[in-house]
Amino acid sequence: MKPYPETNKAPGASMYASAEKIYPREMKGRFDKLSKLATIILLGLFYVVPWLTWDERQAVLFDLPARKFYLLGLTLWPQDFPYLAMLLIIAALSLFFFTALLGRVWCGFACPQTVWTEAFIWMEQWTEGTRSQRMKLDKAPWSWNKLRRKGSKQFLWVTFSLWTGFTFVGYFVPVRELGPELLTFSAGGWATFWTLFYGFATYGNAGYMREQVCKYMCPYARFQSAMFDKDTLIISYDEKRGEPRGSRKRGADPDKLELGHCIDCTLCVQVCPTGIDIREGLQYECIACAACIDACDSVMDKMNYPRGLVRYSTEHAMKEGKTRVLRPRVLVYAALLLVLVGGLVTSMAMRTPLILDVIRDRNFLYRELPDGVIENIYTLKVVNQRNEARTFRLTVDGVDGIKLDGVAESITVGGGEVLSLPVRARAPADGAYGIMDISFNVTDVDDPSVTMTEDSRFLGPTP
Amino acid sequence: MIQEEYRGTRQWSRNSQAIAIVVWISFLSAAIGTMLFFALFDPVELSGMFDDDLEIGREAGYAAGFFFFWLLSGLASAVTAWLVRTAPKRAKKRQG
Repeated sequence: MKPYPETNKAPGASMYASAEKIYPREMKGRFDKLSKLATIILLGLFYVVPWLTWDERQAVLFDLPARKFYLLGLTLWPQDFPYLAMLLIIAALSLFFFTALLGRVWCGFACPQTVWTEAFIWMEQWTEGTRSQRMKLDKAPWSWNKLRRKGSKQFLWVTFSLWTGFTFVGYFVPVRELGPELLTFSAGGWATFWTLFYGFATYGNAGYMREQVCKYMCPYARFQSAMFDKDTLIISYDEKRGEPRGSRKRGADPDKLELGHCIDCTLCVQVCPTGIDIREGLQYECIACAACIDACDSVMDKMNYPRGLVRYSTEHAMKEGKTRVLRPRVLVYAALLLVLVGGLVTSMAMRTPLILDVIRDRNFLYRELPDGVIENIYTLKVVNQRNEARTFRLTVDGVDGIKLDGVAESITVGGGEVLSLPVRARAPADGAYGIMDISFNVTDVDDPSVTMTEDSRFLGPTP
Repeated sequence: MIQEEYRGTRQWSRNSQAIAIVVWISFLSAAIGTMLFFALFDPVELSGMFDDDLEIGREAGYAAGFFFFWLLSGLASAVTAWLVRTAPKRAKKRQG
């Protein structure tokens, strides 16, 4: 891989000295259509999902103020954090898996940076026109026309960014309440702040930074090559077919001129949003957007050459004509993924919808009551993770004759609620010395399989 | 069909690159740190532990935690980047 190709830049310009603009063209073609489709589907999902309802509440809501996550029918609590961590590991591993198999499809079609940049470029095209029109507009002195075009672009960008910020915050606070609150300036300070924050980040990233984010800031872009091997799908230039490159008249026979199929039109370089020349081989700046494939295909069509001089292929296929899809790396990633997904699903299915926390009162050790009884004080937290109210029986044991005082025999906890319960545990003094291990237990009265035991300590006088 | 378009992105100077990397990577690690930390601790309970009169809402607590983590990791990243970039260059091997 060549680190910094000198293409698409003024001759002699160094990488860091100046900041020239890249002037890539946009290309129509198969992959352009595919990326438009991906953008519409992914952005559509992002903007629509917060508005879906499930059981009369928001279907997907990471309710941070209430410390509860709602995912369709599922309610997750802070105690369920391991599930979230596991989900993140699964996501990372999927990225490895798909990278080994398909190369940087994530970058070209699914990364939020790509997707929002695409949407922002559409707005730029609607208001400022094509590449040449935009270059002319940039150079022209300020006029009513320039003001109108630039102004409407900014209006679209800012509105879209604000809506994006609002939607993002809508994943964390109920979106149907947030909307009217923001419009009437009565939303909470933090909700407003994060709306503006995320909106601004969208505006900067998709409007101005664009592919520079991939080039300079993205860690994945730098380490993805570690997942690559000779059978990974990459965008490649068919050197055998293309070289020696050279311009020619249309209809000229390349064999007679002793030329390859590359007519050296440099369109593949001109369309590249990161400004590289794919003919120099795979480079880490390549985000696999496939614009060069579309460009080259259109030229091949015009020249009446077969398509695919630049195409999705693998190193093996380029050299030996075939690709090995099932190889140890892919199988290992797939096996790990299967194990993790299976584990997650099983553990979530077997999850006890009940949590018990026991907190010993730190303010005093124990109390000796007049009738020869030792008393310790605890706060129990009973979390009913089911969506309907349940009744539980509460018991304690571990010390001879230990009993709970000041609590009813059965307690009822509402659906999805936390009951904080101060309890006194009392044990006869003749059996309670030093530090003793005890355990509290809550059991669902109607469904004894739902049971939770939590250990704590009972303190008595030193023997 | 070829349609000419213009994306208008600029290549960045070395300093802009360094700043962007520091800000972005520390943002990511702050996000992870905030998630881990507040999965374990509730800001309301935390503020009650230190000072009973301190009334901090959860949202303010999350935000304060996030910006604290961002500041911390940003500081570490910035110093690291600066030290790496200003390190004395290894002397060239003398020939002969």
